[in-house]
Amino acid sequence: MMAWAAMVLTFLALAVGGYAVAVADRLIAGACGWPHQGNAWLAPLARGAWLYRQDANVTEAPDRPAWRLAPALYLALAALGLALVPWSPTLVVADLATGVVLWGSLEALATVAIFLHGWSANAPLALIGGYRYVALGLSYILVSMFVLIGVVLPAESLKFSQVVAAQEELWNVVRQPLGLPLFLIVGLGLTFWGPLNLADSTDLAGGTASEVSGPPRLVWEIARVAMLVAFSGIAATAFLGGWLGPWLPGPLWLALKMLAVLLALAWLGRVLPRLAPERCVTLMWVVLLPLSFVDLIWAGLEAL
Amino acid sequence: MTLVSLLLVAAALIGIGLYGALSQQSFVMLMMGLELMLNGVMLAAVAFWALSGAGAPEGQLLTIVVMAVMAIEMAMGFALVVAVFRTNQADMTEALGELKH
Amino acid sequence: MQTSLFADAIFWVLAALAVFSGWRVFRTDSMVRASFFLLASFIAVGAIMLLLAAVYLGLAMLFMMAVEMMVMALFMVMFMMNPAGLNPMVMVHQHRLSIVAGGLAFAVLGALALFVEFPDRPLPAGLDPVASLGREMLGDSMLVFESAGIVLLATMIGVVVMSSHRGRFGAADQGSLPPGLEPGGVPAGPQPDAEGSGGHHHHCH
Repeated sequence: MMAWAAMVLTFLALAVGGYAVAVADRLIAGACGWPHQGNAWLAPLARGAWLYRQDANVTEAPDRPAWRLAPALYLALAALGLALVPWSPTLVVADLATGVVLWGSLEALATVAIFLHGWSANAPLALIGGYRYVALGLSYILVSMFVLIGVVLPAESLKFSQVVAAQEELWNVVRQPLGLPLFLIVGLGLTFWGPLNLADSTDLAGGTASEVSGPPRLVWEIARVAMLVAFSGIAATAFLGGWLGPWLPGPLWLALKMLAVLLALAWLGRVLPRLAPERCVTLMWVVLLPLSFVDLIWAGLEAL
Repeated sequence: MTLVSLLLVAAALIGIGLYGALSQQSFVMLMMGLELMLNGVMLAAVAFWALSGAGAPEGQLLTIVVMAVMAIEMAMGFALVVAVFRTNQADMTEALGELKH
Repeated sequence: MQTSLFADAIFWVLAALAVFSGWRVFRTDSMVRASFFLLASFIAVGAIMLLLAAVYLGLAMLFMMAVEMMVMALFMVMFMMNPAGLNPMVMVHQHRLSIVAGGLAFAVLGALALFVEFPDRPLPAGLDPVASLGREMLGDSMLVFESAGIVLLATMIGVVVMSSHRGRFGAADQGSLPPGLEPGGVPAGPQPDAEGSGGHHHHCH
């Protein structure tokens, strides 16, 4: 019964959260005076309807099953990720004994899904986008793993519900100050959002999505915001104490924290500078990876 | 899901992997054959651990060691491919004929 | 271990998927497709491990193999003559021997599985597989675990040395010429002296 309720909640969060990201992104752009089209509240819906009624483009000799399934696969990974998030001590779809490891594997499989999306179109710009994403993905996965191991140490468990329970006195965002900033950058990479949008960037005329239009494009864009929502759920659970909080019920607290993470990501996506792909990879390996080592050592010393 | 059925699946994977490793001309495909064999080995190890070894922790450790071996095999294999490609412009096993002499 | 009918059905589907995609690896036109078929085989085996209560190992398979196969696909596109699979091709040697060897390996191992009596000792009731693996790795078998770590480090160093473009005396391919396309023929690739003697000017005319 609880699992069914949690499942409904998860799908609701994917839908509402996805819409919230799209609106927030446009509102932030509007507040900073950057160009964006139309009314921020209606534009996402209008774009969805526009894409839905388009014809789906076809390239010459694509790998059709992979091309059509890659967006669905990415969306499924996002849904699986959000299913790991506990809304309260009992309200959770799947509280696996190795939930944190499953999230790590989802990040790795997301690389595969995005590369497939770029490769299977059989078009040069899409393939370059896929390549760029793999270079980026291989760099941030390690950062993500070390940061998550740091979160797991005080909980002494790979279960997300235990990770939350271990933050009863002190949230991980305070206990491991390096963790959340690093993890937010991982989130921008995972959803190729803002400055880390190397895969689908405008200099590649849309990258992996450059040859995609119509309903497959709609699924791809929905999957991308859904992954952002799933990531915010994991970030709120791992660093912001999940369901913990006074006065309000647990699920509401989690939803508020997820919204805060989503707003932070949308804001970061707009204000952080863009880097060239090779510089971006250098930054990941030379600066962020050592920082994640520092974070892990910090967490280890504290757990002693 | 008996031990026999699990071992048969593992044996099939090892057989296909051996076929691939012996028959493929391209280095990378050859490595895929080796990986498929190790896949079967890991399945057999976990099957023995769960159904015949009473959950002895060494069974799981063996699987971890096999995973490390796979990572090493991949890394060394790709380094060799890069080195050979740089000197010979080739990615076929036949291109290394001069190693015989 | 008492397995339900449902778990049995899932197992057979996964087993069929693992063997089928393993077979497709060597029967598909495209190298990239081959590496993703191999990934599918690994994922199916990882899911079977999850069914067998190896909850850490099954998921470790997922993230290890997703990254490995991704790297493999990249190398495919880099080195292969026909990465995307637009032209059908077969690149095999000693084909009959390989089929016999593979079949023989399956027959021998399968016979072992069928005719050898293995002890029937299922998992104890209260076993926590993750904790048990962790205690073993950082307890009795620490030496094994640490040695694996050292070997991986040595591999990393060796691999960088082997594949690095820079050598002690300059670039690795400096002064060397690629071999000819036919034995003893003109070296493949761009010719250094043709490039040097103002080859670009000729194009201008």
